[in-house]
Amino acid sequence: MNPLELTLGIMTAVGGFVDISELVFAAKAGSTFGYALIWAFALATIGIIVFSEMSGRVAAVAHQPVFSLMRHRLGLKLGLVTLAASMIANLITCAAELGGVALILNYMTGAPYLLMAVLMALVMVVSIWILPFEWIERIYGLLGLFMLVFAAALIAIHPPWHQIAAGFVPHIPAGLSTKEMLKFGYFVVAITSAVMFPYEVYFYSSGGIEEGWGIKDILTNRVTAILGMGLGSTLAIAILASSAQLFGAANVDPVIPGSAALEAAIPFGKWGLVVALLGMLFAVAGAAVETCLANAYSIAQFFGWIWGRHKKPWEAPRFTLTWITLFALALAIVVTGVDVMTLVEFAILFSILVLPLTYLPLLLLAGDKKYMGKHVNGPLAKILGWLYFAIITAAALAAIPLYILTSGGNS
Amino acid sequence: MTPDSPIKLVSELLDLPLYDSEQKYCGVVDDVELKGGPGKDLELVALLAGPGAYKTRLPGWAMWLVGKIAGDRVTRIPMEKVRSIDTVVNLECPGRDLGLHRTEIAAGNWIPRWGAL
Amino acid sequence: MRGKPLLLALFVAGCSKGPDADLQYIGEARSAAAEWALVNDQAAQGRLSGAYVTSMHKWLRDDLQTSLSSLTERNSVYGAEIQALLLQPDDAAPEALRAHAARLKQIEDSLESA
Repeated sequence: MNPLELTLGIMTAVGGFVDISELVFAAKAGSTFGYALIWAFALATIGIIVFSEMSGRVAAVAHQPVFSLMRHRLGLKLGLVTLAASMIANLITCAAELGGVALILNYMTGAPYLLMAVLMALVMVVSIWILPFEWIERIYGLLGLFMLVFAAALIAIHPPWHQIAAGFVPHIPAGLSTKEMLKFGYFVVAITSAVMFPYEVYFYSSGGIEEGWGIKDILTNRVTAILGMGLGSTLAIAILASSAQLFGAANVDPVIPGSAALEAAIPFGKWGLVVALLGMLFAVAGAAVETCLANAYSIAQFFGWIWGRHKKPWEAPRFTLTWITLFALALAIVVTGVDVMTLVEFAILFSILVLPLTYLPLLLLAGDKKYMGKHVNGPLAKILGWLYFAIITAAALAAIPLYILTSGGNS
Repeated sequence: MTPDSPIKLVSELLDLPLYDSEQKYCGVVDDVELKGGPGKDLELVALLAGPGAYKTRLPGWAMWLVGKIAGDRVTRIPMEKVRSIDTVVNLECPGRDLGLHRTEIAAGNWIPRWGAL
Repeated sequence: MRGKPLLLALFVAGCSKGPDADLQYIGEARSAAAEWALVNDQAAQGRLSGAYVTSMHKWLRDDLQTSLSSLTERNSVYGAEIQALLLQPDDAAPEALRAHAARLKQIEDSLESA
């Protein structure tokens, strides 16, 4: 294990953890339910750690990313359904992230939202074209570390730490009306979806192939998944906790992504605001890049095309044309003027519905001795894997009813 | 598993990745070609790759859609060219000898060859 | 298909009128007003950049306008509150904005307990 590589990997994961959906839902969860939803973030983070570790291990041992093997395990028809569903979910997510980036630039500079969307789409396409894979991941991830200001901001406002600690224990707050209970349930489902977005596993496993992982990298993969995502989730939880204290008390239910930046401005003033906005910009931009590439990986791997940013763009032409087209489609969605919050809500809804189909092949593959040899799922991975599969299936089944009954969490 | 093993392995063969003799990824096994018929022994003659191959495994409407977007091309890989089959299919010769990646090379003409680090 | 239950729910929701149907928008307007007050408060203390404040004002106003347009009973007490809010200048005093927010919260609470 190369310590520098490991540290960079962890820091990249921390900086890249938060995306527009987690940002928005952390702030909303805090203002609406105080510290009571911290456990939802923690629980979902354990889930994404489990599946990221698994997908990285499959990439390192079988040298195949998840989607390549998915067609073989699920068969062509079910595989195609999964591909179509995850394509739609990832595209909506990409549009939400792109819209989020445009919004954040608007907060920072006042420049028109649509112009910023077009500009940032171009910047991201150019950056993916020019930079090799490691640089793409590293630059967006490490610059996302500006998000650490949110952790500092929480400490600076002297929150009730014992209440925050109590929030980690899974519970439903007492005294909720039926309507509030449904809303709480919707938030739990939404947070699970936002933290465990399908694109993360596709990107992570394809990324492992891009970086040429082998058996020697299994431990690095495990440590990066646990520490990187674990620490990254503390940033989301910090946003939640600050929101509980600052927004909840002020009767504010933030629906604009820009509201989160106030959490850093209140304790630290202008520089806190600027650093928070920069962190949000790079974290969300990184997510836009990842969702787009994850979609391109899925499509190329499913149809058997040459894929990967470890190849030059002209060496994997259909893959290149795919990710450029996907960015154009995401931009088209943003340009229709649909609200970023609406995109976030649909991204969350579609993603949770796709999640069980996404994780099932991964679970089966990582537990298959034929592919994994002695690195097959051990008892802990098996138990956690199937437990979380049950959890996300339950969440997927509850998602649409809860969405309708709570008017998308706005009731 | 060697190429002349019994036919029950067909379902395990479908949708496996293809790697050529240079360890280059060449696509996916989209369908298989069998010889024989009712009452006779079935023999695995070739592997098929390309939209023309997997199209036939899809429902009707999807077949039409794929035909419109991706076309009908089928690349045939005779079983003699298959070296071994485990979690992937390994071929005896380079992919280009069999005509794999023709579409890829054609698509490559659309991409400018500059700028990438 | 996924769209149908959604459409049905929207249809049902659209059919209902009156304060209960408007509860969601009253809450959104209350939140926007409270956040506007918070932004102006922090701006007065020099903690925010000009571009950010201008931007937040625009998006919060958009929110209030959307809430107003979504009301089924625009000529109600809460409708009037929201319209009064929209007439406020961007740099209105936080106390004035909070007063509106507090009144909307009162209406919200009384509707929820009814």
